[in-house]
Amino acid sequence: MSDKLLKIEDLVVQYITDDGIVEAVNGLNITVDRGKTLGLVGETGAGKTTTALSIMRLIPHPPGKIISGGIELDGMDLLALNEQRLEKIRGDVVSMIFQDPMTALNPVITVGDQIAEAIMIHQKVGQAQASQKAREMLEIVGIPGNRSNEYPHQFSGGMKQRVVIAIALSCNPKLLIADEPTTALDVTIQAQVLELMKSLKVKFQMGMVLITHDLGVVAEVCDDVAIMYAGRIVEQGTLEEVFTEVKHPYTEGLFNSIPNIDDRKEKLKPIRGLMSDPYNLPKGCSFCDRCDYAMPVCETEKPPKIYFSDTHFVECHLYRDQQDFKLKGGMK
Amino acid sequence: MSEVILEVKNLKKYFDTPRGKLHAVDDINFSIEKGKTLGLVGESGCGKSTTGRVILRLLEATEGEVIYEGVNINHLDKEGMRRLRKEMQIIFQDPFSSLDPRMTVSEIIEEPIKLNKIIEDPKARFERVLELMDLVGLSRRLMNTYPHELDGGRRQRIGIARALSLDTKFIVCDEPVSALDVSIQAQILNLLKELQDKLGLTYIFITHDLSVVNHFSDDIAVMYLGKLIEKAPAEMLFTNPIHPYTKALLSAIPRPTLDKKVEKIILKGEITSPINPQNNCRFSDRCNHAEEICRSQEPALEEVAPGHFVACHLFKK
Repeated sequence: MSDKLLKIEDLVVQYITDDGIVEAVNGLNITVDRGKTLGLVGETGAGKTTTALSIMRLIPHPPGKIISGGIELDGMDLLALNEQRLEKIRGDVVSMIFQDPMTALNPVITVGDQIAEAIMIHQKVGQAQASQKAREMLEIVGIPGNRSNEYPHQFSGGMKQRVVIAIALSCNPKLLIADEPTTALDVTIQAQVLELMKSLKVKFQMGMVLITHDLGVVAEVCDDVAIMYAGRIVEQGTLEEVFTEVKHPYTEGLFNSIPNIDDRKEKLKPIRGLMSDPYNLPKGCSFCDRCDYAMPVCETEKPPKIYFSDTHFVECHLYRDQQDFKLKGGMK
Repeated sequence: MSEVILEVKNLKKYFDTPRGKLHAVDDINFSIEKGKTLGLVGESGCGKSTTGRVILRLLEATEGEVIYEGVNINHLDKEGMRRLRKEMQIIFQDPFSSLDPRMTVSEIIEEPIKLNKIIEDPKARFERVLELMDLVGLSRRLMNTYPHELDGGRRQRIGIARALSLDTKFIVCDEPVSALDVSIQAQILNLLKELQDKLGLTYIFITHDLSVVNHFSDDIAVMYLGKLIEKAPAEMLFTNPIHPYTKALLSAIPRPTLDKKVEKIILKGEITSPINPQNNCRFSDRCNHAEEICRSQEPALEEVAPGHFVACHLFKK
């Protein structure tokens, strides 16, 4: 068996609306190894969530449509499966945690029953056994098992997110997709939940795609990082490669935008302008109109993929002729 | 010594709830000097937004005084308040719900000028609107657009322009960047900083994000369950935090670097209820160092170094 758990190749997803075609994901390639965590980083509208929903095959259709590409999960071609098979896979082989724990839970069903539901569907066990397992899952995520008869409104935000994690992990998935799992939480609670996710990842030996806009969270949890911009991965590498040898101007911009807590600089260096309109992406590099390094070729030609190591690549014209091009830096 | 523009004395705000009194803000004191920024930090439910609102008298204080330029504003009548509001403004967190969806950008910015009769001549008023749009970096061509056509960063700029449209001297910024993407967040933070330098504004900067507040503030006050638990100049608070909660809060921030790993202090439990609090340290349930005295007696805010105030029993040891 290969060690690649998830393999996405040239994925193109579009939303076809009355106003035009939204090019949400434009030729995306990522792989996740077994037991590893990939951080998918980008801003609002970069296509992170669309990517996640594609893996779950949950893109609302219409208006969304997977135009081309391939998604292979644990050796299965997800795009070829019918709905019946998909239902068996969702929640069993791959699970997803959503950003907002407040809306992800059903308010009129006890948390225990919500966890047991997934177990009963996938593991062919009876009510009693599933309830027992649900209580165990609650304990695993740090909630006393005797609270399984309570309703979501009796839990705080951090606790609800723990319940959602318990549901996602109840069938021992091979891949967990976490879409901004801690964004809605306070920092001290975020620290608790991240700690929990790190330990569970080891315990359940699952692969994880962590979607976030927070490079701090990435530094803490991920093994690999993919930076996404306008539906493409513009830079990808191991955590160390991306954090120590920033190559793409957008990645650099992201780092420079974060106020450094250990060093009070006078001024932040934001990325100027806004993300290109996905209705109308530029012909060349999608980032060229915000890039400080932009050259004429950036406007007309899609940038090539350039590898610096087996794992680290960037899509940028800057490195086409000179591999050792250095960004101006300015960070740290 | 520079001049104190705002002073808050023993400020309390309690809300009645079916289960008892909710102590949203409980006896807090601080002052801000002109042209400076005070960062007010804490997690959800600690009372930081309530504090901001009570200072502007958008909520009436239960007890205590808010003194703005020597005037106790709690005693002002409607007319007095109206005059004062020209100087004291607020920028809200959510640039989506704080703008009237049926007004154009220029109408939104113009409205306060018109209502307060700052400029009566429509032409001159329009000039002023354009000037404000330039000031906050909104392109003039956007003046006839509606908020829904704009992104979060631009909407927040409208909110800032509106707050500046009068004779503004003091602004409560209530989480002004937390709804924005990082790259846009940095643009808005830089804008607020520039405006402060240019116009000599004084800010109270309410946020849950310590890295933002460190970048921005002269002084930082940390709140926990309605109480001010530590206050110090920003530099000092970050290099030498004393209160166990401040320490935990600082260590909990995910840092975007690989080196200099700070040891995480993971707090147990979650914020407790602010309804009918006991007479103890409100952090004692979650504190890793709590002792008997912490559970039986409430610590007072004491000055432990020049300008550095802490409310913790354990410090004295």
